[in-house]
Amino acid sequence: MDPPRKRPGIGWLILVGLALVLPSSHRAFAASMGVSQELDAEYGYVAGAHTRNAGKVDENSADVRYVISPQITKDLLLRIGAEWERFDFGVSEHLPIPDLLQQASLVLGFDYQFADLWIMRAEVEPGVYSDFRDVKWNDVDAPLYLGAVYLKDPDLQWIVGLRMDLRSHYPVLPGIGVRWKYADQWTLNLIFPKPRLEYELSNTLLLFFGAEMQGGTFRMSEHFGTTRGNPKLDNAVLDYTELRIGPGCSWKALPNLTVEAGVGFMPYRNMDFFDRSVEVRSYNAPYGQITCHARF
Amino acid sequence: MKQLALFLVVGLSGFLFEVAPAHTEEPVERIKKFSDFQQIDLNRLLAGDVLSERGSLMEFPNGISVQTCFAMTLSAAETAKRLQSWDPSPHQDLKVYAFHPLPVPCELADFHQLDFKSREYPVRWLLDKTAATTGAKSELNLTREEANALAGCSQKRPNPQKLSECWSKLLLDRASRFQKAGLAGVPPYELTRSTVSPIAQLRTMLLEQLAVASEFQPILKKIGLLGKETKPSITPFYYWTLFDANHHGTISLGAVYALPVETHYQVVDLEYYVSGDYYTSATLYEIWPAQSGEKSGALVWRGDYFAAPVLAYTKGTERIAYGTLMLQDIKKEIRDFQDDLKTK
Repeated sequence: MDPPRKRPGIGWLILVGLALVLPSSHRAFAASMGVSQELDAEYGYVAGAHTRNAGKVDENSADVRYVISPQITKDLLLRIGAEWERFDFGVSEHLPIPDLLQQASLVLGFDYQFADLWIMRAEVEPGVYSDFRDVKWNDVDAPLYLGAVYLKDPDLQWIVGLRMDLRSHYPVLPGIGVRWKYADQWTLNLIFPKPRLEYELSNTLLLFFGAEMQGGTFRMSEHFGTTRGNPKLDNAVLDYTELRIGPGCSWKALPNLTVEAGVGFMPYRNMDFFDRSVEVRSYNAPYGQITCHARF
Repeated sequence: MKQLALFLVVGLSGFLFEVAPAHTEEPVERIKKFSDFQQIDLNRLLAGDVLSERGSLMEFPNGISVQTCFAMTLSAAETAKRLQSWDPSPHQDLKVYAFHPLPVPCELADFHQLDFKSREYPVRWLLDKTAATTGAKSELNLTREEANALAGCSQKRPNPQKLSECWSKLLLDRASRFQKAGLAGVPPYELTRSTVSPIAQLRTMLLEQLAVASEFQPILKKIGLLGKETKPSITPFYYWTLFDANHHGTISLGAVYALPVETHYQVVDLEYYVSGDYYTSATLYEIWPAQSGEKSGALVWRGDYFAAPVLAYTKGTERIAYGTLMLQDIKKEIRDFQDDLKTK
């Protein structure tokens, strides 16, 4: 078996860059109260996970998302931005596992308060979702996200939502969640895809235990299957799903900058070439990840 | 003697409040001109509805405002009088641990009910923040001198009784200065990221809403919030309170001013000192006699202005949610006030 190819830790470079820029950038962007900006960056590493017929497959993941939100009326805000997400897998080319799944998309949407206690969000993310070997028009997708939050009171909010992706095996995925501060220092933040239980140690430090669902729907390249000895996987569509579970901590480094670190266990990862009836599953590997959230 | 002084302030204020009722359409049309409400159904308000609107987005980063409109079954005069001295502490949903009026002049004994022995997390939070205060650093709103005094008092061992006594001295000093000099007697907070004057924060917010500031000019000038005078020319109802603000124990000193203006009343509840979590707040009321068919009572417009450091970093949808949740709390307070006045 050939040794797996390792890609450089691009995610680490991005996070280091953000760590240098963000602490001073809030002054530059703080100008108008009518425009808000969000910058989220995440890097994670999953150690070699047992994968049938492929041995141990490790993973580097990175996600950077930027959204600018101008307030149009008292109740309506636009959302315009971009997201880049990638999953790098340490695999040899003869295995039916892509070494890269990547998303480069726009974020277009709006938030609207349509009733006294209700705020809705609609977002579409048109872009390229593929292995980026030969980018073509059939790599373009536009998943749609709809959600609404009911603000019952400062300690209890209900959330409903759905994701629509016509290319996915499950074109519509609904979800329901709740954020409930049920005690002075405890919050149940059951909001997909990162449900968790939080404990507030102080104004700036929070501990949590939870899960995270990562994934997406991606198109493989024209010769993906052929180069791996399985031509039926050429141009295949892949539903990627990964579950991570574990504890972490969240530190409010600045009033508008939060850094989170988490470690834990990836019990399950699934690459489902559903339209070709091929599935590759990985199990049981430790992971670590770091995330920055900045708001201007 | 102090009890008599207090009675005279409240009693005489009530005696001076009788004015003639206004024409039915006038208050509604007047409120529409300066507020964010374009549709006001007096019948529905007299039946118990509460109108609410988040205020327009302010350019002042620390500020937020909301407006409400409701009706009372009492006369405008009686509503204004009761608003001045209403005690919210019996209502558990408002999370007020203590509310006490202050006489003029106030004394140390007027704060003896400030009790940190509670096991409630918000009160323990305040105790811990007080104990952690040093001369140069604190999460509380203090001058350097106050921080040094509290630090000397706690000496790293948070004894609830001792800390209550130290806080009482601090509050007495602030309340006395305010009673003597009005707004000019309000010292800034010096241990925040930059020195913050709570009165300057209030003025900035009010001047961003010129229609409201103009409507309330009579009382705001008399208080000293607008115009050149800083010492008020009307005597307010003074109070102190200990409550839960966002799961944090918070002490505030306030003054409620009332002024009959033409055919209606203006009331301003000003929190001139807040121990932490936010800088200051002001609640403005305009109270009109109102009649709809056989139903009569008082039409009340209320505007809440709130300055907090966290708001500078709360934009977009988060700010919309913040304003919405603020309105929830205010509506609870209004309903409790309405219920109290129905039963008493």
